[in-house]
Amino acid sequence: MIERELLISNRLGLHARATAKLVQVLSGYRCNATLTAKGREVNAKSIMGVMLLAAGIGTPVLLRVDGDDEADAATAVVDLFERRFDEDS
Amino acid sequence: MRLLLPGHGASRGCALGRARVRLPHVLEVAEERISDVEAEVARLHAAILVVRGEMHATRERLHGALAQEVGEFLDLHALLLDDPELLRGLDALIRTGRYSADYALRLQRDRIAAVFTGMDDAYLRSRIDDIDQVIGRIHAALHRRIADVEGVAGEILVTDNIAPAELAQLQAQGVMAVVTSGGSALSHSAILARSLHLPLVVGAAQALQKINDGDVLVVDGGLGIVVREPDASDLRAHRARTREQARERKQLNRLRREPSRTLDGVDIKLFANAESREDVAEAHALGAAGVGLYRTEFLFLNTDTVPDEDAQFRAYRDVVLGMTGRSVTIRTLDLGADKADRTGLVLPYEPNPALGLRGVRLSLSRAPLFETQLRAIVRASGYGPVRVLVPMVSSREEVVAVAALLKRVARDLRSAGHEIAEHIPFGAMIEVPAAAIALPGFIDAVDFLSIGTNDLVQYLLAADRNNEALGELYSPLHPAVLRLLHGVIAIAVKRGKPVAVCGEMAGDAAFVPLLLALGLQEFSLHPATLLEVRRAIRGCDLRALRSRASLLLRARDRVGIERWLHSVPPRIA
Repeated sequence: MIERELLISNRLGLHARATAKLVQVLSGYRCNATLTAKGREVNAKSIMGVMLLAAGIGTPVLLRVDGDDEADAATAVVDLFERRFDEDS
Repeated sequence: MRLLLPGHGASRGCALGRARVRLPHVLEVAEERISDVEAEVARLHAAILVVRGEMHATRERLHGALAQEVGEFLDLHALLLDDPELLRGLDALIRTGRYSADYALRLQRDRIAAVFTGMDDAYLRSRIDDIDQVIGRIHAALHRRIADVEGVAGEILVTDNIAPAELAQLQAQGVMAVVTSGGSALSHSAILARSLHLPLVVGAAQALQKINDGDVLVVDGGLGIVVREPDASDLRAHRARTREQARERKQLNRLRREPSRTLDGVDIKLFANAESREDVAEAHALGAAGVGLYRTEFLFLNTDTVPDEDAQFRAYRDVVLGMTGRSVTIRTLDLGADKADRTGLVLPYEPNPALGLRGVRLSLSRAPLFETQLRAIVRASGYGPVRVLVPMVSSREEVVAVAALLKRVARDLRSAGHEIAEHIPFGAMIEVPAAAIALPGFIDAVDFLSIGTNDLVQYLLAADRNNEALGELYSPLHPAVLRLLHGVIAIAVKRGKPVAVCGEMAGDAAFVPLLLALGLQEFSLHPATLLEVRRAIRGCDLRALRSRASLLLRARDRVGIERWLHSVPPRIA
């Protein structure tokens, strides 16, 4: 299992578009993935789950991935967060 | 009896018509237990499969800019449909609760809604609408009903909520306005309704209780008001508003066959920006001088493969044929790393794609890709006048390299026996400030220019136009922008090269006097505003405007430029 601490730094936070991107990225991996924020853990492959986190800009979130391809999945998600979900381009 | 139903205005415009009430997909479903659990789960999954097919079909029906706009919402709905939590929850309700699929949908919906409605963020709170729409579609499919709305021309649809894809369809069917009891002005549907110019009132809470099929309604999407059984004064007010709108429309429609000629008799060329077949047909019908900017990105977007030469050729040829002898300017691929993930192209991630490998830079770095596109464009020139336009040019070297490649491609095709035009004019987009400033050094290598003001303004002012925090910093009404435009146009005119503006600035009738004063004689704009721009041109005296150009160029700030614009209003007959 891999854990990564991430900070929501895109302007809109985990709104529908950013959430859709996250879920789409993770759908390419077999491992289980969860996000934890504000004391709640949700399935990171569920768009509803992630939207329900209502994580706005500045919220720290914890990514947990567990499975064969967990390392690649973690890298892909970290990359997406660092790119701020491509929102600023 | 007259009844005023207040709501929220979500998209401007007014309408008078009979109501067509569509009751919510998921209403009160009574608790129901079943015995054959596996059959019920299978029934649910079959319904989900049907909905997935419907969504796919809706997506296929959309073209061009609308496809991009609506596509994003459809993607969201597709993800919700496949959401593992949603599906697991439904399966569990059927298996352990032995509930019917219908009741499971309702329970699951209510559970999700309870969490969403408690959220602080208004935007996220209104995402329950998206979930309702998806659940509603599944419910309709369970009963083999087609969830797609059927609109009737001339009627006003009254419903609980509306999905973006449904709006696009309703408008095509001639529905005049939409009233919803739920929803918000922040919804995806509201955003789309505004861009479709379809009047929309949301949050008219009592609409479904108080309005019956066939009731006469007056809808004002600006004020957010619905009146059932309007009285004399409602009708009078509505008539005044529609008369205003109709006069405007009629006046504009009369201009379809009129020339874009100034008061002092100078013909200005209005070209259309296009990317879909519909755009091309509309451009033709509006009497555009040709297609001034045919964007080719959409051929590459939303597909996993790169379109081959024949596929591209067919698309370009069809545009050329659609314009029946008027010229078609095809812009080569204008993509960067920011959009590459939606194409079959593999581009490395860039921290700053606006300043990265995009446009002609990308094309020149991918010789086979670029050559394929040029071959397809050149082959289309056998069917009518074609021009090649290259985006994101910043140096003479790029222009020379493209010109040489274009020449070689034409020679190859000719010797392979293809019938192609003798000369294919080649032009550069002026959107990087460096290209505007260095223009005298490469203008000899091009046949024409097209100024892309959207990017030019953004690069010149170092202001991202999508960054709301910058407010009005992104604006073409900046002295630096006007001077640069004036300089580019003056050089082009002096060297006898046609020059057009193809950014959004060209499609805004308010800027017509300004662009004419700067010497512009060709505009390329979206067909939606072509007639408004033509009307403004017909109200301008070119000589008078040119004589006031120096005053415009002396304006020191935005206020000064606006004052100049106010001093030269077009005379609208």
